[in-house]
Amino acid sequence: MKDSNPAACSACATKGLCGGKGLVTLKDGVWTVNPLAIQMLGICSALAVTSRLESSLVMGAALIFVCVGSNLFVSLLRQYTPHRIRMIAEVAIIATFVILFDQFLKAFYWDMSKQLGPYVGLIITNCIVMGRAEAFALQNPPVLSIVDGLANGLGYAGGLAIIGLARELLGTGKIFGHTVLLEQWYTPNQLMILAPGAFFTLGVVIAVFNALRGPQDEEENK
Amino acid sequence: MKDSLYTIGYAGILGTLCALLLTGVASFTAPYKANNARVEEVLSILTALGIPHAPDDSAARLLEIFDANVREARQGDSTIYIYASPEGEEEPQAVALKFAGPGLWGPIEGFLALEADMKTIRGLTFSHQEETPGLGGEIGAPWFREQFVGKTIVDRTGQPGISIGGGQGANAVDAITGATMTCDKLEAILDGVISRFVEERHEGQ
Repeated sequence: MKDSNPAACSACATKGLCGGKGLVTLKDGVWTVNPLAIQMLGICSALAVTSRLESSLVMGAALIFVCVGSNLFVSLLRQYTPHRIRMIAEVAIIATFVILFDQFLKAFYWDMSKQLGPYVGLIITNCIVMGRAEAFALQNPPVLSIVDGLANGLGYAGGLAIIGLARELLGTGKIFGHTVLLEQWYTPNQLMILAPGAFFTLGVVIAVFNALRGPQDEEENK
Repeated sequence: MKDSLYTIGYAGILGTLCALLLTGVASFTAPYKANNARVEEVLSILTALGIPHAPDDSAARLLEIFDANVREARQGDSTIYIYASPEGEEEPQAVALKFAGPGLWGPIEGFLALEADMKTIRGLTFSHQEETPGLGGEIGAPWFREQFVGKTIVDRTGQPGISIGGGQGANAVDAITGATMTCDKLEAILDGVISRFVEERHEGQ
């Protein structure tokens, strides 16, 4: 992950709020080193919760919230955190934000909480969140870390939204529960709702992502 | 030494702060979660009793339907839910019994509804279960629950109880392959609630 993220190394040297690194960081997370399509992180939840667009969006929002929050606090505390227990501290911070979101869902969005099941709680173990805290927030100032958390959260949420949209549309002919593809000429493909549909869709998303991004980055990384 | 003390102090303070924050949030959301649990239970009772309701009814609407159609009554030590219109002198159409007990991984809770003859099963629902998804968790699936409809709560000899995976009979249903422990435990829970219901009914008469 280190080589693929130049911002993480160079940003320390710059002074000032974002040091002009804000846009690069944002583009990195959302596009250049997209956590889902390029780094292949968070695949488990991306496969599990994307059978409907609504649940995909809520899961994406959860990850943005957790990633921004944990990055901010890990970054704020980075000079005070003893090196030996830094990962335990990171997990404590991440777990706090995840439980906050989970409690919020359970109280005010009960149906969605039931649908997402254990996957909100499992964000604690999501590699993206821990990875960003470890690789970025520990070395960078708070504001830039927020940008990084937001960027990676958006990159993940965007991927989930695309997969969720494709699966719900092709699997049920609906979007947000409203019929889009009429039953007269479209037969919903149940396969898209089932687990294999998630694998197919994720594969296509990754392929398209890499094709659009172009081969030049791969050369650079080598 | 100084380093270690700092590390322990840091961990202690961070841990305490996180714990305080989470405790605060948990107690703030507690009433909302209790309300959600209540609605879930009401939905479970309505489904077991076969009281008509739309799948997208709001929480308030479900509680309204429940209050209009269901009366809670005591029989012996247990609460039973009686399906009857609010004027309520005529014979009840059905009753639901709450059952609860240990499953394989966690508590199993739900409702068993009986027809007006107090012998035939009208419906079975689970309001809470944490059995293995795909195996024991299948007890919550419609195919498993619908097997119970029309079965009786007494066997041929008049002995109260239900038999899961016990072959043929008016009180026997199929078990789930790969979920023997869950089925055994569920059978024990249902047997318990049924025999208690029958006993208390005799005492009451």
